[in-house]
Amino acid sequence: MNLKYSEILLRNRELGKSISDQKYETKVLSNIITAQLNELLEYTLRVDDIPAVVTSGDYDNIVQDSLKFHTSDLVIVFWELCNIIDGLQYKINLLEDEQFDAIFEKTKSEIDLVLNNLHQSSLVLFNKPTAIPFSMFDIKGNNLDKLAFKINRYLESEIRENVKLIDLEKIIASIGITKSLDLRYYYSSKALYTVAFFKAYAKYIKPFVLSANGKAKKALIFDCDNTLWKGILGEEGFDGIEMSSKTRDGAIFAEIQSMALGLGKQGILIGLCSKNNPQDVDEVIKSHPDMQLRDEHIAIKKCDWTDKATNLRKIAEELHIGLDSLVFVDDSTFEVNLVKKLLPAITTLQVPERLHNYPGMLYENSSLFYNLSFSKEDMQKITMYKQSVLREKSKTELSDIESYLSSLEFKITVFEDEASLIPRMSQMTQKTNQFNLTTKRYTEGDIKKIISEDNSKIFALSVSDKFGDSGVTGLCIINFEKKNQTSNIDTFLLSCRIIGRNIEYAFMDYIMKYLKKININSVAATYIKTKKNKQVNNFFDKCSFATITSSDEIKKYNQIIKNYKEYQLSYIRI
Amino acid sequence: MAAVFEVSAEDINDDSSSDTIVLWDSLKHMQLVVALEEEFDSYFTDEEIVRMKNYSKIIEVIKEK
Repeated sequence: MNLKYSEILLRNRELGKSISDQKYETKVLSNIITAQLNELLEYTLRVDDIPAVVTSGDYDNIVQDSLKFHTSDLVIVFWELCNIIDGLQYKINLLEDEQFDAIFEKTKSEIDLVLNNLHQSSLVLFNKPTAIPFSMFDIKGNNLDKLAFKINRYLESEIRENVKLIDLEKIIASIGITKSLDLRYYYSSKALYTVAFFKAYAKYIKPFVLSANGKAKKALIFDCDNTLWKGILGEEGFDGIEMSSKTRDGAIFAEIQSMALGLGKQGILIGLCSKNNPQDVDEVIKSHPDMQLRDEHIAIKKCDWTDKATNLRKIAEELHIGLDSLVFVDDSTFEVNLVKKLLPAITTLQVPERLHNYPGMLYENSSLFYNLSFSKEDMQKITMYKQSVLREKSKTELSDIESYLSSLEFKITVFEDEASLIPRMSQMTQKTNQFNLTTKRYTEGDIKKIISEDNSKIFALSVSDKFGDSGVTGLCIINFEKKNQTSNIDTFLLSCRIIGRNIEYAFMDYIMKYLKKININSVAATYIKTKKNKQVNNFFDKCSFATITSSDEIKKYNQIIKNYKEYQLSYIRI
Repeated sequence: MAAVFEVSAEDINDDSSSDTIVLWDSLKHMQLVVALEEEFDSYFTDEEIVRMKNYSKIIEVIKEK
């Protein structure tokens, strides 16, 4: 956000005009004035297609407002330490021990109330109180520091999955204290922080919001020459390229590769897109002593002489993800501009001219991949992707699809309301875009709520076959009314890893059987069209559900359970 | 000023003040000062901020810098 403040306000207003009724409601609760944040945060989110509307609660009404606004999509709690009591920053060092303890106890019980009011909220970002604005020159550590420490320790022990703590000190450190605080306004109107601080704050918290809205990036694709190693393979040869931690420049590339390895362990798909002879690159991957990214770490390679836009498009297709889930790194200005122009949906990063800035640039951008719910499926992502490549290969060997599917020996397991799978289930709602009938995003807090309610049930599907275990890869959320014996499919999705095997029909059979067992007579279902889920626009039709209404954007169905015809796929065992 | 108060530039004249422009409240005044400081690369004191109550006063304060 290097735009002028007035420019940001103008552009934010423009973006606001195209927001319809699907808003991402954000409420900022604070005991100081933080209103300058609102438009800045709106702008930061709106440029990434999140229809954010950000408003402030009432001044110093955090506890009451946490009850009032707990249903907002996002609640930000900005509890400023020095204003817990008016003038705390100077009063605190004059307090007797009992008075200090009393303030801490009071704050603790208010925090309890707030956390309790917000325990079912989708996402809460709670700022870690900091003493820095007023204690930074105190070399001995004072009561304000002590209070901040105690409150933070308490917060860390009490928060649940839907609350993320925000480290204000990191944000202040990134721009400096002088630029973060404006005491002119603090004394006149209790507005402590500057616009510059709020710009940095909005940028810092953005990954949390992106992830909650299903927009976290999924794959990191690297060019090779002067991006993963120093030098040009085709010119300097196998022995001429450098990526060893023992040389000054090599050490930088060694750090980059280590970072990529780390991201891969968290489930981010790592890939290569380079203009090189494929055999040359394979040789480096296989045998270069300093290469850290080996074959098992790389999910996909496109090393040839085709233009990179075409290759990146192919990469997105083969990984079954959208272009907007890709991050691409290249050193060449030519390639970077080409990709930015032809595929603007991809986030393209250029290796900095000053090499020592390269790791920092990548660290900064690694928050693009931030995942609210990290699950064990993520750790095995690359293995699973490679298993799927094996499956694709064996597909071409058998002519008949049915016999091919039988030969895979599928086994599926369905988990009902399984609490241990909450992170994975929440993550699937945030990340699955293609085989997703209604694309509703849920945080872990939301899933927990669904499980606890009597009139809704969440089914998680796990699949394994001859080649390996795909893990939990399907989800269905049903709401039902026992009185009228009706039900509604709120969510039905399948990870793209298991598409094309008719598993969705076996899943539907299972769910219909379940509904029949609990005496539900009919089920309603909806298909909501998005940019990415066109392929399932007739899924419910294929399940022979009766269509009630149909428009370009939404199709509604209803099906009498008695009349449901099971697919009964013989080759899939439950 | 047009950007902060959501009015068009032509409508602002010497008399434009917190009385005549609907959205000009204390928060907006803060935003205006930030925008002006950015635009003119300067820093206004508390007294100057309070003085900038209408368009002509704003011009006055800026000219003095």
